[in-house]
Amino acid sequence: MKNPFVMGCGEFRISYRQDMAIYKIPRVRSRVIIILTLFLIYPILASPYYISLATIAGIAAIGAIGLNILTGFTGQISIGVGAFLGVGGYTSAILTTKLGFPFWVALPISGIITAGVGALFGIPSLRLKGLYLAMATLAAQVIIIFIINRWDSLTGGTAGLVVQRPTIGNFSFDSEISYYYLMFVFLFITTLFTMNLFRSRVGRALVAVRDRDLAAEVMGIDLFKYKIIAFAVSSFFVGISGSLMGHYTLVISPEYYGIGISIEYLAMILIGGLGSVMGSIYGAVFITLLPVILRELMNLLGAFFPDLTAVFAGFREIIFGAIIILFLVYEPEGIAKMWRNLKDYFKIWPFSY
Amino acid sequence: MAKWSLLGLLTLLFVGLLAGCGSSSTSGGEKVVKIGGIFDITGATADVGKPYAEGAKAYVEYINSKGGINGAKIQLIDIDYAYKPPQAVEAYKKLVQQDKVVAILGWGTGDTEALKESIAKDKIPYISGSYSENLTDIAKAPYNFLGAATYSDQARSALKWIKDNWKGSGNPKVALIYNDTPFGKSPVEDAKAFAKDIGVDIVDEEVVDLKALDATSQLLNMDKAKPDYAIIQETWGATATILKDAKKLGIKTKFIGLNWAAGEGLITLAGDAAEGFIGVIPHAFVHETDLPGMKAIEEYLSSKGQKLADKNQKFVQGWVSAQIMLEGVRNAGDKVTGETVRQGLEKLNNLDLGGLAAPVTYTPDNHRGTNKIRLAEVKNGRFEIFTDYIGY
Repeated sequence: MKNPFVMGCGEFRISYRQDMAIYKIPRVRSRVIIILTLFLIYPILASPYYISLATIAGIAAIGAIGLNILTGFTGQISIGVGAFLGVGGYTSAILTTKLGFPFWVALPISGIITAGVGALFGIPSLRLKGLYLAMATLAAQVIIIFIINRWDSLTGGTAGLVVQRPTIGNFSFDSEISYYYLMFVFLFITTLFTMNLFRSRVGRALVAVRDRDLAAEVMGIDLFKYKIIAFAVSSFFVGISGSLMGHYTLVISPEYYGIGISIEYLAMILIGGLGSVMGSIYGAVFITLLPVILRELMNLLGAFFPDLTAVFAGFREIIFGAIIILFLVYEPEGIAKMWRNLKDYFKIWPFSY
Repeated sequence: MAKWSLLGLLTLLFVGLLAGCGSSSTSGGEKVVKIGGIFDITGATADVGKPYAEGAKAYVEYINSKGGINGAKIQLIDIDYAYKPPQAVEAYKKLVQQDKVVAILGWGTGDTEALKESIAKDKIPYISGSYSENLTDIAKAPYNFLGAATYSDQARSALKWIKDNWKGSGNPKVALIYNDTPFGKSPVEDAKAFAKDIGVDIVDEEVVDLKALDATSQLLNMDKAKPDYAIIQETWGATATILKDAKKLGIKTKFIGLNWAAGEGLITLAGDAAEGFIGVIPHAFVHETDLPGMKAIEEYLSSKGQKLADKNQKFVQGWVSAQIMLEGVRNAGDKVTGETVRQGLEKLNNLDLGGLAAPVTYTPDNHRGTNKIRLAEVKNGRFEIFTDYIGY
């Protein structure tokens, strides 16, 4: 029996299959499977409220992974995520409520339509970079929300649309547990797809575009094509996330897709780690749970100092902002990098020199 | 391997959460009825949301100091959602699933409308600060109750008053000013339809953001149509902006604000510009000290070392909303659940609110409560009521 506290000191691969694996060491593989199992049995152990928090975080993670494909891996900044979530949500809502499509058809279509809209707004990315592109995607945000607000007959205007939970036969995903598993399946597929995307030719090309687009073009990468691909694939997952979220909250209205949401998603990938799939998940969990934890903390303090309750309400926003700033200053590569540092530390511990 | 950290992070966060939640369960042997509160203390409508929340909390505290309801203490678990619907959904889930509340006092139109499906499914009676006409549809919102006249009814009453008091020639010309949220747009269609019926011309519509600090372009636009009156559906902040800019531009239109636009805070913000402004007032002002209902508020405040003058009409509004909800709890009897509270509320017939608001009546097929409002005009920096409770 191998000593579980001893780290492996080398990998010896004897087949292409082993070389291609995402998790190359058997011990790590089994650990991943154990953690996945833990997440699978999580809803059985937790109360409905904690399941719902996990579901919201998980759906946000799908969108964050989508945004990370574009911003973290391809280097194209986007402030239009909120609106693209809206495109996904509204497509799904309109297809299911007005045209009577089942959820299972509407979900992929909403992903595809969002991909199309995303690609459309990605066209300027050939000419525009950095801040200029940020402004262009900000325009997308404003235009899309304006259309949603004003096209009353299709979108219900500011009142929004009421949607239903998905069903299979007689089974409806009404309960928190069932929706958690639905989210889990999609999050798993998204994670797996994205991890593999960046081991493929297309993914490598996207990373090359991020690192130095001129050099990438010299190497024969069609910049326009790959930038559009990045916008489309990214928006696809954002659309899926929007649709899932809409069917979870049961109502879709323009207030869910404001500029604030776009910034929140950017914060997720920045704090989680740019260019990291797992980082997107950490970031989504962090940003989703931080306000909740701060609220509980402030309530707890408020119980001891009742006169200061109003002050604590304001404090919450300040702490939220401060945590984000401190993160960006002290660990710009996010939670993913913090985790890597921790692993590296223990790998060579106690002989760190 | 990286998945470890996700688990670690989650555990860490949940431990924090659990530690945070531990404090809320203080039953200590006596009966407790848990009520939820989803308020806006720090968001876009915090100008009116904060006093409203204070009023609601104050009533619960007052009733507890009187021994509670049917021998049970009332616990109000309130959450500030900063006027963000996604946070309202999360707060709602916490209140219903974690705290197991039997009823909720809510706030905004957008989030109340967003939650009505869940409210119906979870059977949670819900009285919010939103008086949207959409919430009166029993088939779609069977657990929503309205504590005052709907925005549409308020606008109709105002239009009717305009028509009745019109002395000029032809039809009176009216403009509508609102914001691009479910709250702002709520009365617009109904107001237009009603105006057409009674012969009032809606000549212009302008959109002014809830947090707007400038409304000159919209007002100049509006002035081209020369409306005699303009009906404002905003909160204090935007209304003050509109009144100040109108004064600056010398616009002669008479402004009428619906419930959330009117109140003492408006005068503080708008100063002189508020003179002559007419407010639609569903609830009493704190300076109406001769009302019997005001005695209870005064009694509560003096026990806290405060005076009525420190509070405002939105405080009364929150107080009344909580009072209506708790009367429902009282009628629910010993077995307090969402369903019995709903039945309890539906038993309320001409509930006397001591003059703080028009009496409310609910029946199993009507949750409107009332359609009566009063009108008040700002004179010398003070709202003076000049009508009795009127409808349309």
